[in-house]
Amino acid sequence: MVNAKVFKDEVKKLIENIYETQAGNIDETAKIMSEAIKKGGVIHIYGSGHSVGLGIDITDRPGCLVPIHIMEMTDFVYYGGVSVEEFTDKVNIFERRPGMAEKLFNLYDLNENDVFVVISNSGINGIVIDVAALAKERGHKVIIITSMTHTLAEASRHPSGKKLYEYGDVVIDNCGPHGDALLETGSIEKVTAVSSIANNVIAHSMALKIVENLTNDGYPLPVLTGDEAHDAAVRKQYEGRI
Amino acid sequence: MADVKRQFVDLVLQKIDENYEMQHEKITKVAQMFGDCMMNGGVVQLFGHKLNEEFVNELNFRAGGITPFHAIKAKDAALRGLLDKSLAQGEFLNHPEVLDTVLSIYVLDDRDMYCLISMNGNEPFVLELAKKVKANGQKVVVVTNMATYQKSGGTLLEYADEYLDFGAEDPDLAIEINGAKYGQWGTTIGSVVAQQITAELYNYFMEKEGQAPVLLSANLNGSDKHNNDSVQKYGGKRIR
Repeated sequence: MVNAKVFKDEVKKLIENIYETQAGNIDETAKIMSEAIKKGGVIHIYGSGHSVGLGIDITDRPGCLVPIHIMEMTDFVYYGGVSVEEFTDKVNIFERRPGMAEKLFNLYDLNENDVFVVISNSGINGIVIDVAALAKERGHKVIIITSMTHTLAEASRHPSGKKLYEYGDVVIDNCGPHGDALLETGSIEKVTAVSSIANNVIAHSMALKIVENLTNDGYPLPVLTGDEAHDAAVRKQYEGRI
Repeated sequence: MADVKRQFVDLVLQKIDENYEMQHEKITKVAQMFGDCMMNGGVVQLFGHKLNEEFVNELNFRAGGITPFHAIKAKDAALRGLLDKSLAQGEFLNHPEVLDTVLSIYVLDDRDMYCLISMNGNEPFVLELAKKVKANGQKVVVVTNMATYQKSGGTLLEYADEYLDFGAEDPDLAIEINGAKYGQWGTTIGSVVAQQITAELYNYFMEKEGQAPVLLSANLNGSDKHNNDSVQKYGGKRIR
């Protein structure tokens, strides 16, 4: 059956499942990120399509950590020399292409202590896999957020045949279903996507744990408070990197 | 003290129930408004920037979503060189005079209706958009966060045929660590509301037409053809 109440009840089970099965991975991720922040590192978040929502939800408002940088897909066009025609090509779909990650990395000021979070529900497309692979190759810690059910059910579109999760120092499963849509309709067409909801819960759980870790370690918290002078000073510490 | 992650999850689970109790009838009503528009050949035009865009992205060309939605995004104009990219990152919200430029690249239709997401409800760009489409006799659904709206002196609801509420406090920081609060939850509840609309919209299509235009994940083998066919049937260049 498909209706608002069924969705509400099913998505609550999914959220509970994330906590029950991924709490350890989220703690491990937060530990890596807390250590990186203490060494002056920045957390770079890359996700194509709707996956970028995770970054938006945990940045740029009071209570949020400052050393987080969202690697925007549009940066390819704004700063990376990719034409809008190439970017919006409906046949040779941009997010599926390999060999683009270096172009993106060259746009940013990356430091050795930076950590990467790469998000893709399917984990099979070219750019996300290359971003994770290149970050790993350059010695950064890499956190993957993906649907293990989905990624194990589909073939990789990357020439290497690899999937995104294979590059993770930590892999967080968003516990979502194959195809992202949660509710069965009796045909191949399932409805109601859940990955963004799952990713938001994971992201805030991770951010809360980082704040707790830094607090326990007595490290000055690089968070926005809503106080203009304070926020400007914290942002200044990471100028050009976030 | 319980694990901070556990506290956050418990809070989100509680707020999902509270929001459902508060407005599930209105969610069904909004889904039916969307369905009536779509079954009459219209597209539901979505607009929301930054945090509000998360709601847009739940409905627009989404796996397991309904096809005839389209998102109005300032960055589309910026990518085409029609709008300064720094303006498109947010400042455009204070510049209602760029509305026509932003809209100029889309194929809009009088049968369309609008779903405007704004927690503040006071940005000049979105107010201008609401005013313009209402003057043209088109329906408007507003999605807001009432606590933020009231704090900001929002007026967007003056244009709304119906509205939905994230139902979050402002600020929506609820998890205390060492005397300060963290962990925003309102937008996540907004995403749940958006998917509840999808569920009810699917139902409404099935009830009225015996079939529903459902998109598959672009990352399923063979889904491109299914999705392209659905797009061609329900709006073509008007939505994609």
